[in-house]
This record gives sequence, C-alpha cells and structure tokens, in this order.
Amino acid sequence: MGIVITVTSGKGGVGKSTTTANLAVGLANLGKKVVAIDFDIGLRNLDMILGLENRIVYDVVDVMEGRCNLAQALINDKKSKTLYFLPASQTKDKDILSKEKVKALIDSLKESFDIIMIDSPAGIESGFEHSIFLADRALIVSTPDVSSVRDADRVIGIIDAKSERAKNGLEVEKHVIINRIKPDMVEAGNMLSVEDVLSILALPLIGVVPDDEDIITSTNIGAPIVNKDKSLSAESYRRIARRILGEEVEFLDIKAKKGLIATLKGIFK
Amino acid sequence: MSFFSELFGKKKNTASVAKDRLTIMLSHERASCKLPYLDDLRNDLINVIKKYTKVEDVKITSHNNQNLEFLEVEVILGK
Repeated sequence: MGIVITVTSGKGGVGKSTTTANLAVGLANLGKKVVAIDFDIGLRNLDMILGLENRIVYDVVDVMEGRCNLAQALINDKKSKTLYFLPASQTKDKDILSKEKVKALIDSLKESFDIIMIDSPAGIESGFEHSIFLADRALIVSTPDVSSVRDADRVIGIIDAKSERAKNGLEVEKHVIINRIKPDMVEAGNMLSVEDVLSILALPLIGVVPDDEDIITSTNIGAPIVNKDKSLSAESYRRIARRILGEEVEFLDIKAKKGLIATLKGIFK
Repeated sequence: MSFFSELFGKKKNTASVAKDRLTIMLSHERASCKLPYLDDLRNDLINVIKKYTKVEDVKITSHNNQNLEFLEVEVILGK
C-alpha cells in the first residue's frame, strides 16, 4: 500500500509545484515507484516543471469521470523510469472534483505505487480540501516572509480538520520545508531565519532550500534541478527525499558566500 | 552589527520585527480557528445567564501565548 504525501502552503507562489516536482523525481531516483498528481484544477503547472507537457492526452478529471482508464492518463517520465505523472485538468470548473471520486482514484493508485505526491492548489478552498483529504503526510512549504509564514500557519491549523486520517483518530504527519532562503540576508538580520520560522510554526523541519537562480533556468527547460550534480538546492531536495523515506540525513550548511566586496559592504552597512 | 552601525546607532533589524509581528498576529488567529465551538458556547452562555438576569450580549475572545490558552468572557447586561 502506498502513502499519500500532500505538498501544500496556503499562499501561492512559494514553490509548491517546484518542490513537488523535485521531490517526486528525487524519490523515484531512490528507487520508489512514485506518482505525482497536480490537483490545481484549471491552473495546471506541474507538467511544465517536469517537462512532460507535450505528452498529455488525458487528465485527472478524465480519469475520475471515466472518460479513460488510469493507465491511459498516467505519463511515465523518460529519465526517471519509476516516476509517473497525472496532470490537472484545464477545465474552468474548479469544483469538479468530488470526495468520492478522489477517494476512488487515490485508492487505486495506492495499490500500484509506493508514494503518491499531491501538488495542492494555493488557498483553502475545495481544491485544497481534496488534496489534503486523504493525506498521510503533509509537507508545508513556506518562504521566510511574513505573508507566507502566516498563511502556512493557517493551513497547518486546518489540515487535520479536513483530513480523513484525523476523523479516524490518527494524525497527518506534518513537516515544514523552508524555501528560497537567502543566507546573506539572514546573516544581516533582514530575513527570518530557519529557527525563527520553526519557532513560529512549531512543526518539525524536513528541509531548507536556498534561493537559487538555477531553479528558474531548470524550470525554463523543464528539467527538475534535483538531477543536477553540483548544486546546493539540488542537494537539498535529494536530502529531503531521503528524509521522507525515514533516513536521518544531516542538514546542509547554507551560508552566505563572503567575498571581499561583501565583507567591505558589511563594514559600511 | 558592524563597526559603523554601532557608531551611528542602527534600527532594530527587520527580521526580528517580522518575527514579533507574526507572533502577535498568529496568537490571535490561531485561537479563532482552533475553537470551532465558540458560537455554540456563546449561545449556551446567553441562555444560562438569561435565567438570572437580562443579557444584551456575550463577547468571547480567546488569547494564547506559548503555554496558556484562555477565554475572556464579557457579559453585557441589559437595562
């Protein structure tokens, strides 16, 4: 039986889809059979980040409505052979999902996959509720800024209220991913630090991803950065993937690069 | 804190301001979403107080800090 991991955030634009894509690839590279599902109905995005947009024939709503079978809709990644992708529908009706249909789909995916990764839409409306409904675990992505942390806190507060697991007396295992941290700003005291965010959200940390321009370029070409060798952000994703599987991995030391100019700037600040 | 900022006196860094603002804001917001029973409690309280005296309104506000969570009940009596 597979487990369901939902990637969520509350606020939009903090890197949920990028995180989902990289962790899905990362977990597949560790030998797990993974399916990544985009639940952002009407605003499909995970397809382009994974570089699979040209191979879409059917989508998640087609499967749920019985217009095709599951195997027809699943797209197999060429590079990571154990990674499959189920795209969101581009329909305008974002309330098209129903609990029963979501459950039927997830239950059938659980039989053939180790990990089902759900990319949740931003917000706390029905799309979010469907994404969290069957989650065994939730990864809450937050950038170190006030709006993102505030919305993350709000989402954390309602995850259990919306999940089936909580109704059965169990808890959804929740972890925080702090995304786009800028170590030089943290060191200058102008960005919330990892410790700050964790003390506010009061949840365990599963990873910190540094702000990295290479993530933009890898999204441009549809090749998730996690496959890149010498990259701090890629290494962060790889380590998060291992932690998801229960391995204890040391946290990366993300420090500001200090050259002569930065040192001089520091003096005159 | 660098030499020059020590010398000229610098404003509190922005990260700690952000942290303080968030902590205060969230202590209010958390309380309201964690206590779904507030409306029912309020109605029940009004009914109980009605037995003894006229009541115009009952206001319940919740507060919490790191360790404690408490409700403040304000009963406004009718004339």
